[in-house]
Amino acid sequence: MSGIARKVTRYFASFMLIAVINFTLPRLMPGDPIKNLIGEDVYISEKMMEELRLELGLNMPLSEQFASYLSDLLHLDLGHSYHLHAPVAEILLNKMEWTLLFVGISVVIGSLLGGFLGALAGWKPKKKVSRLTSFAFVVISCIPPYFLALLTLYLFAFKLGLFPSKGFYDTPEIGSVLHHLFLPTCVMSVFSASRNFLVMRGSVIQEKEQLYALYARAKGLHDTGILFRHIIKNASLPIITLLALDFGFLFSGALFIEIVFSLNGMGLLIYDAIMGKDYPLLQGAFLVIAFTALLANMLADLLYALIDPRVRRPA
Amino acid sequence: MSQSACIEGSCMKEACVEENSEKRQEKPGFKLFGEVSFRSFRKHESSLALFNWISILLFTFFLFMAFFPSSLAPYAPEERFIPYEAPSGRHLLGTNDIGNDILSELVFGARISITVGFAAALISTLIGTVLGLCAGYFRGVLDELLMGFTDVVLVIPKIPLIIVLGAFLRPSIWILILVLGLLSWESTARVTRSKALQLREAGYVKSAQCMGFSPYHIMTSDIFPNIIHVLLPKFMLAIASAMISEASLSFLGLGDISLKSWGIMLSFAFFRGGFIRDMWWWYMPPGICITFCVLSIALVGFGLEAKEKEYSEEGANIS
Repeated sequence: MSGIARKVTRYFASFMLIAVINFTLPRLMPGDPIKNLIGEDVYISEKMMEELRLELGLNMPLSEQFASYLSDLLHLDLGHSYHLHAPVAEILLNKMEWTLLFVGISVVIGSLLGGFLGALAGWKPKKKVSRLTSFAFVVISCIPPYFLALLTLYLFAFKLGLFPSKGFYDTPEIGSVLHHLFLPTCVMSVFSASRNFLVMRGSVIQEKEQLYALYARAKGLHDTGILFRHIIKNASLPIITLLALDFGFLFSGALFIEIVFSLNGMGLLIYDAIMGKDYPLLQGAFLVIAFTALLANMLADLLYALIDPRVRRPA
Repeated sequence: MSQSACIEGSCMKEACVEENSEKRQEKPGFKLFGEVSFRSFRKHESSLALFNWISILLFTFFLFMAFFPSSLAPYAPEERFIPYEAPSGRHLLGTNDIGNDILSELVFGARISITVGFAAALISTLIGTVLGLCAGYFRGVLDELLMGFTDVVLVIPKIPLIIVLGAFLRPSIWILILVLGLLSWESTARVTRSKALQLREAGYVKSAQCMGFSPYHIMTSDIFPNIIHVLLPKFMLAIASAMISEASLSFLGLGDISLKSWGIMLSFAFFRGGFIRDMWWWYMPPGICITFCVLSIALVGFGLEAKEKEYSEEGANIS
């Protein structure tokens, strides 16, 4: 029980930390907090500014401001973007679907691909093929994701003309969407596979020295049987943790890939927000990404307890 | 070849080799499981060593580039020529939109990219080491608190946070270094803690405690020297990841525009027409440089890690 309590407090602390960071940033940063809260490059008259100051409660004590900020958060009110003239939550929700679709597909493909190849490479780490794939994935993990995206965009869209170079679709049909999403998804999958590969490889190398693997061999099970029936189950546990912890990292990688492929999702939104200094939107995006990462971690914890009986059993 | 024959074969060959290496193989009896023959093992080792040497060579080349850019670059980076020129004898990699020689820019960019990587990694390793040492050595409540804090920070996605911070603050190289350094210490802290937990039970630490040395003294002069070999590979990998983060942030326009790093060059090439005009000599070189530099640093890190493993298997942990 104490384990669960500890987990819950940690998640709560993470939640609070994210909220506090988001709350203090605009108030702490140099410049007028009102400018920091509504974004720069927005024209607003003096009178309007005073009204906003009252509305945002900047003249109240900090504790009261924080309380009202938290209650806003819990009501899913992330503020108002004065550049796009719409509530931040609405804008983000619109764009988020596409990005989540794109990231979700790629992470699934990437973890399957990386896990499978990693397991093979870890099973016979000294074979030529294994060493080649390991090296290839190390190289891929060293390339900044957007550069990889640039290269594929250049090669397949501009030089060979096989794929369209921008947008999610020409006509909103499934075929067009698939055609447009193919390249970015490939890049993203390879990027996420490269991280899973290395972890899976290491974990298979460790697991295969356990006694149960030796026992499986002793009773005469063939190679692939040992690997895919017994070892892979235990070896894929670290992948779940990695996937959850990596979620934020992968998500931000996806943002860069979106920018390169001009996909109109969160990536471009954030890029435009940086260029236009639209602070409320940026903060909202950070909040949403952070909370999704938090959720992913909770999910991983639950999944872990479901899959691994050793976690459930009291020690 | 069947597995059993292969194991036998490698056993026999193993027997001919010097005794102590055989002893090392001996301790878990089934360790040979799944290994190919010894000859290919040795070949594998030599090719690994070759890789290590290549990466070290590459790394020193980049370091040289960073320390003495003027000896490699044909022109000063801010000197201006005709813009948008294709590669030629005078400008090996052509010129960019405002007429700077791209090769010179590339060479001078090395210093900035590598500095950001090193400084950020230094900060993160320092924080991680101190927190990890304290948590591992004192244990108890402090350990709970520090590791809880580490877990809490670990969950927060770094790059989005850096994006928000970078947008608020005026982009400058020092802020980039500070932010990257302050946000990436968690894994170092964890590794240091687990090592410190092991070492605090060692005989020499116990005797130092009995002699009444202060915890500070024990940590700095007894425990720290023994975890350096774990920290070094971590440090190298931290440099690699900081350099990638720097390149990514510069791509978003959050870098220091007055100091042209490779990431900023790449971002300029993408957003200022190098990509549309099909000028591969503008956007390819910085990307390739980042990749190779990060790769060489990461490979050196992996090499150090492998050596560290060998070292600890040889029984350096005898307490």
